[in-house]
Amino acid sequence: MIRITTLVLLMMLAGCAGMGVEPWERDLLAKDSMQLTPDYFENFYDEHIYFSKEASSGGQGVGGGGCGCN
Amino acid sequence: MQLKKIKGRMAVATCALLQATSPMASAAGSEWDVDTSFLYYGEADGRVQAFEPAIHAGRALGDDDRIELRLVADALTGATPNGAYAIDGVAQTFTTPSGNSSYTIAPGEQPLDDTFHDTRIALGADYTQSLDRMSRIIWGANLSTEYDYLALGVSANYARDFNNRNTTLNIGLGFNNDSVDPEGGVPTEFAPMKVADTGKNVSGDSETKTITDLMIGVTQVVNRKTIVQLNLTLGSVSGYQNDPYKIVTVTADPATGLPVNGTDPSFFDSGVTGNLPYVYEKRPDSRQKNILFFKAMHHLEEDVVDFSYRYYSDDWGINSHTLGLKYRYQLADSYLQPQVRYYSQSAADFYRHNLVLGSDIDVSGNVLVDYASHDYRLAESETITLGLKYGMPMANDSEFSVRAGLITQSVNDGAVPAGQETPDLDAMMLQVNYSFVW
Amino acid sequence: MKKLQSSRLQLKHEAGYWQGHFFAMASPCEVLMEVDDKKQAARILEAVSAEALRIEKKFSRYRDDNIVFKINHAEGAAVSVDDETARLIDFADQLTRMSEGLFDITSGVLRKVWKFDGSDRVPKASAVNVVLQHIGWSKVQWHDQVLRMPAGMEIDLGGIGKEYAVDRCVQIARGLTTASVLVNFGGDLATTGERRNGASWSVGRLVTGKDNAVALFKLYRGAIATSGDAHRFLMKEGVRYSHVLNPQTGWSVPGAPHTVSVAAPTCVEAGMMSTMAMLQGVQAEEFLKLQEVDYWLD
Repeated sequence: MIRITTLVLLMMLAGCAGMGVEPWERDLLAKDSMQLTPDYFENFYDEHIYFSKEASSGGQGVGGGGCGCN
Repeated sequence: MQLKKIKGRMAVATCALLQATSPMASAAGSEWDVDTSFLYYGEADGRVQAFEPAIHAGRALGDDDRIELRLVADALTGATPNGAYAIDGVAQTFTTPSGNSSYTIAPGEQPLDDTFHDTRIALGADYTQSLDRMSRIIWGANLSTEYDYLALGVSANYARDFNNRNTTLNIGLGFNNDSVDPEGGVPTEFAPMKVADTGKNVSGDSETKTITDLMIGVTQVVNRKTIVQLNLTLGSVSGYQNDPYKIVTVTADPATGLPVNGTDPSFFDSGVTGNLPYVYEKRPDSRQKNILFFKAMHHLEEDVVDFSYRYYSDDWGINSHTLGLKYRYQLADSYLQPQVRYYSQSAADFYRHNLVLGSDIDVSGNVLVDYASHDYRLAESETITLGLKYGMPMANDSEFSVRAGLITQSVNDGAVPAGQETPDLDAMMLQVNYSFVW
Repeated sequence: MKKLQSSRLQLKHEAGYWQGHFFAMASPCEVLMEVDDKKQAARILEAVSAEALRIEKKFSRYRDDNIVFKINHAEGAAVSVDDETARLIDFADQLTRMSEGLFDITSGVLRKVWKFDGSDRVPKASAVNVVLQHIGWSKVQWHDQVLRMPAGMEIDLGGIGKEYAVDRCVQIARGLTTASVLVNFGGDLATTGERRNGASWSVGRLVTGKDNAVALFKLYRGAIATSGDAHRFLMKEGVRYSHVLNPQTGWSVPGAPHTVSVAAPTCVEAGMMSTMAMLQGVQAEEFLKLQEVDYWLD
């Protein structure tokens, strides 16, 4: 899985050279509603809740810390 | 004329003309972006309840740098499963983590330990250091402390933009060190739980583990209305990973699942040896995980769709899929956002219902398997969350929002005696958030 | 507070902002203000129009009562100038160096032989050469806020004036409100800062060759300036002579794009970049790419 993902990531970096928009077309992307993390604590709380109930955690970023939730 | 780059000279000359003290930047100010939030989380049946206020403040500094600070407090009450299972017609007695007292669970009831009243404080800081117009590093540090747990971590995330800022590469590295100082001491792995006040099998006062994560991700603008993100995370946990408060039931007969009772074998005769028919769990001290995360956001006429998928896999045998979907209905100024989350995981290799005398554990109490745990969080399960968020942007870049969710988790125990299945867990969450600029 | 001069200033309310209009520097000028209070909008409009008219009066070459007239009719004598004029001339001097002579505020006299009316009356080389004798920043003595140039030469600040006015008005508007204000003087525009809730200002620019078709784009911060004019050119024997003239040859720059628009933090930078690009002729796009600015041309 690691190999395939790395390949896809590299392809995205290389192949995406043509994809995208001009600076003046970033109107919608600049909106709050289109930010990858809109609400500072929404993801934070969700991660905390699910970390203490499930066996998987992470994926969106590193850091953030853990807890002894049990 | 030979083409030369004159942008810098032009900027300097313009400054002199307009008598600006610094090049006219966008109107970011010396202002703090503040988010204040409160979470209530409550499970049914007297289980965990959490009250969690939080505050975050972020501010742009000179040269495109930025500082973010957060403080979170967490008050937990309620009962959590101790790893044993409900048994029809049989009451069970357990010893509290301190080793000093005991509690009895009625027949047919899931064994829960309600001696937890935990308060946690967590602090975090992130500093964005702008390297040049197209790249930056975010340095992070965090600390989390509760009476029996201390987590310290640092991280660095390098981000670089390409293709007119349409593509962003993220490389993140995180190190965390967690130390646990369990109430009553660190229980000896696979040692039996002892009757109250007969001593507790302890191997030490505290244990630690270290967590290392590496993430590589790409964010890509697809078109004016769409942005996607793909992350690959590799994580490694090394050290003490047992839950010091969880036990595994020892049974003589897998068909009944009843805890070993009576004088045979004498090792588990609690009147003689003080050993209860439960042993402390044991997990491997190493865990390697791979996570693939994908997210796409798409702007429709007015509304926004947010889709995410995460695949997780580790060497404990756990594989999981997480699917998330949020749809933001834009109203006049405010918005309504229904949210759905579906999660399913496979069980850890060493997740088991109990330890069977003879095959898994011998009559002298030596455990014959490498690892064992009956922590429901390592079981095969599905969690479904339905949520609804209402947000109201207000004047001066402020926003108020409230989000409510219903969570239900069901565990698939496989073939276990009737009445001993892990019950479904129902919970609700309520988050209230107010963001403003100060 | 001065009463709004309704004959020259117009103010009306749009969805979410106030829009003011007036005429200055031979252009329709508009001021868009994301304020709620009409009185405040009127104050801002008044201040902006006052500044625009002040700059027009001070630097227009069509007037006979300002510093430019004094300089252009000094007949070789030294002229002492004020701080603001000095800064503009310093800036022009910098631009001449940066462009290695392609940008030159003494080149205005070429208008005597080049009349861009869409006709085929391209000037004769001899006529151009006569005028060329009175062009060249190197012939001007400029130091310590004192300017001295040979008789028959003129300076023309028209190429910088409008963009300078836009940036000055942005500074003034910033002093009057923290709300976002867009100042647009005939297509050269800038905003004081970002709008509420991540909104943008919608601006349009004329697209050449498409019969007044307007390309709409969104401005969040900074400025945009446009050089070129689709209608000012000469056409003879199938060759299009753009109004961009090389001050060293006196001739039309071949292969210049019809229009060049550049986005930059200030209108002056945007305007000068677009002007510089036009002066590069066929190399306009290459020049713009090298500058790493946001641009578009046609």
